[in-house]
Amino acid sequence: MAGAVLTPAPWRLITDTALWSENWPGVPRPARGEIRARFTTCALCPAGCAVRARCVGEQPVLLTGVSGGLCPFGLSAHHLPYHPARLRKGPVAEATAAVAGKAGQGIAVLDLNPGRTASWSYRRAMGAMKGAYLTPQAEPFAYDLSAARTVLSIGTPLLDGWGTPSKVNAARPNFRLIQAEAMESRTAMLAEQWIPIAPGSESAFAKSIPQLEAARELSLVLGEGPEIAEINQRIGAFGKTVFGRSEAVVPETWTREAAAVTAFADVPDHSIAVLLIDETPATSYIPWHRIEQKLVRDNPVVVTFAAHRGGYARHAQFALPTAMYPEVLDDVAPAADAIRPVFRLAAPLVATPTGVVSLAEFVGTLSGVPVANVLRERADAIHHAGQGTLHTYADRQRTAVKELTADAFWKGLNEGGEWTWEDAKPRAAVMNRAEVRPVEPVESPADLPLVAISEPHYAGLVSPLLTKLYQESNLLLAPNRIALHPKDARDAGVVDGGRAMLQTRLGKCAVEVTVDAAVPAGAVQVGSAPGIQDVCGHAARAKVVSV
Amino acid sequence: MIAQGKTNVAARYGMSIDVDRCNGCGACMVACAAENNVPPAANGATERTGLTWIRVYRVDNGGEGNERRSAFVPMLCQHCGKDAPCVAVCPQQAVDVDPATGIVGQMPERCLGCRYCMAACPYHARSFNWSDPAWPAGMEKTLNPDVAPRMRGVVEKCNLCQGRLHTAKAKAAMAGRVEIDPADYVPACVEACPTRAIHFGNLNDAASEVAQESHRKGSFRMLEALHTDPKIYYQSKKDWVRETASAPRPGKENARG
Repeated sequence: MAGAVLTPAPWRLITDTALWSENWPGVPRPARGEIRARFTTCALCPAGCAVRARCVGEQPVLLTGVSGGLCPFGLSAHHLPYHPARLRKGPVAEATAAVAGKAGQGIAVLDLNPGRTASWSYRRAMGAMKGAYLTPQAEPFAYDLSAARTVLSIGTPLLDGWGTPSKVNAARPNFRLIQAEAMESRTAMLAEQWIPIAPGSESAFAKSIPQLEAARELSLVLGEGPEIAEINQRIGAFGKTVFGRSEAVVPETWTREAAAVTAFADVPDHSIAVLLIDETPATSYIPWHRIEQKLVRDNPVVVTFAAHRGGYARHAQFALPTAMYPEVLDDVAPAADAIRPVFRLAAPLVATPTGVVSLAEFVGTLSGVPVANVLRERADAIHHAGQGTLHTYADRQRTAVKELTADAFWKGLNEGGEWTWEDAKPRAAVMNRAEVRPVEPVESPADLPLVAISEPHYAGLVSPLLTKLYQESNLLLAPNRIALHPKDARDAGVVDGGRAMLQTRLGKCAVEVTVDAAVPAGAVQVGSAPGIQDVCGHAARAKVVSV
Repeated sequence: MIAQGKTNVAARYGMSIDVDRCNGCGACMVACAAENNVPPAANGATERTGLTWIRVYRVDNGGEGNERRSAFVPMLCQHCGKDAPCVAVCPQQAVDVDPATGIVGQMPERCLGCRYCMAACPYHARSFNWSDPAWPAGMEKTLNPDVAPRMRGVVEKCNLCQGRLHTAKAKAAMAGRVEIDPADYVPACVEACPTRAIHFGNLNDAASEVAQESHRKGSFRMLEALHTDPKIYYQSKKDWVRETASAPRPGKENARG
């Protein structure tokens, strides 16, 4: 035995095994088949970028942009059906019974991606049930960057996924950008001027705009604060660069049946007995404590229709699985820079999984409002109006709607096409009550020394390949991370890559720490994970505790 | 942007990357990984142990507070000239510079995983497969059939999407042409870039956009003092960005984190 060990044979065997095993089935073999291209529209955000999908048989293997590139989220959207965190089954019968059991009490739908045809289905169902249709913002504006010459952006990620990137890039050479922001964001880096402001002072800065030297040159101000609309009105941007968000025409009966659009913040506290949340595809996240505040105290029912377990599924009584892009036929809401009506369909690239539930069908069944064929009904209404042109992605042709039959128009939309009405007169912007709501006072810094800076995007479910951006590089702040200035990290006793607890008045959350000199001292940059957003919104006071 | 030259036996494919246009979105990194079947990060993988053929670094001017200015620099294999450091050290002849295209290729079937090439590369543009590539269940259906996934124990790196070059050559051959149509050969990162910061083409074709940009004022290459003759050119109007490319600031960490 000892003699055999001293021969080269066992060592040779070890080496050979290592080499042979490199080709064992641990390495997957890509599927082969006929290669073809299919076209659709990305529905992950309202930008609605045109997508060319390279498919092997029916399976998409590569997504690319048609008119300009795609963002990393859109490029990897064909991975989402296989995400390990996908919600695949849920208690549908129990949720239906619980909602039916609360019939006649305050019911509401919270739509986190308003402006779609599904949104009209929710409004019609709520109209029939005397319920409320809620959105994060009541009356969104639309902005025309092509008419702007000097833009002042207060923390808006204008060059980092805001609006329709291809339109922003086309307009970019013609306007001067001034970015006011606490951190040197991606947009600040590419702006002509970056004005560093104190974290959490966006509102105070906005109020000081009329005193700025550049105020007279401004043609548009962008930001989240309630005073932005008023400033835009004052600088004469209304009707020039600021308009009302336009929507494509809808069948007339829908408008008669639909419940009004209500801003979530305007709902009286403790008034909702049944809340149905459309979380896919969410483009924003309302912290849970704000939702809880609107629910009745006595046994409310919350049902979320979600694609993953990471969002409201953590709080709701019922989390029902729903299909998402690119599994389901849906349309895309108008983007922030769509000043004229537009209608695009996200045609599915893979089969819809079994066991999923759609909120539109759920409320349609409850209310008796037919919702099965709404996209076709709307396309027919647009075709019937006879305005605008259909731009088909595959051949890059533009065809006047008048020259198409209703079936050809529908087919064109389903095969990757965008309807636009370029000659439409933009809607006038209207100031509403929600826009002039006073700002909440800033908290005292006594025991919470840091001010939070939020990541600009709420991404929801993302492809596992996005780990390239926040695990194998530091390009994005990972959703469950915070970033601190080295001095603040030292004071808190935390180190780069370590674990910590983020504490605010609302609670605490376990996080991982990145130490980064780009974060201003006295601030903490927080990731977009719902768990963090539940306790720490933008400009909230916080502290970091070592664990 | 598409390549604008014509392929011939003496092509030198290269890139011109406008640092002043890069917004650091990372689309190039994700598109590259999807095209080349690079798996998602394994548990515990970090910047040093992860697999990326192109990585976008954030660099800064070293200023503090309001004086700080940053830029994003995409880093990939720089496709050095014939004396590429990685070629010289490889004991297996698994790395070569293709004289027909100038592309520095990596052959995983020959690689024995000694990682000398990683140590020799001054650009940190190579990654090592510490384990077999793994995708979440079902996601392997989305793999690109034109590129074979690599096994554990081998080094991999950017090859300017050689799979696309082969497809372009096959298409040209089918059409009875010897030369490829430059529009048929565009690497995934170039195609994906939303800000059009990356241009690609034949540096030997004086009429190509990339060749003209390589001679433009503000054009520079990484660590030129090493005389590795890279084919990846960068552009910036900012002096401090160009200085950063010459050498890292002593005692300072350029990359975030």
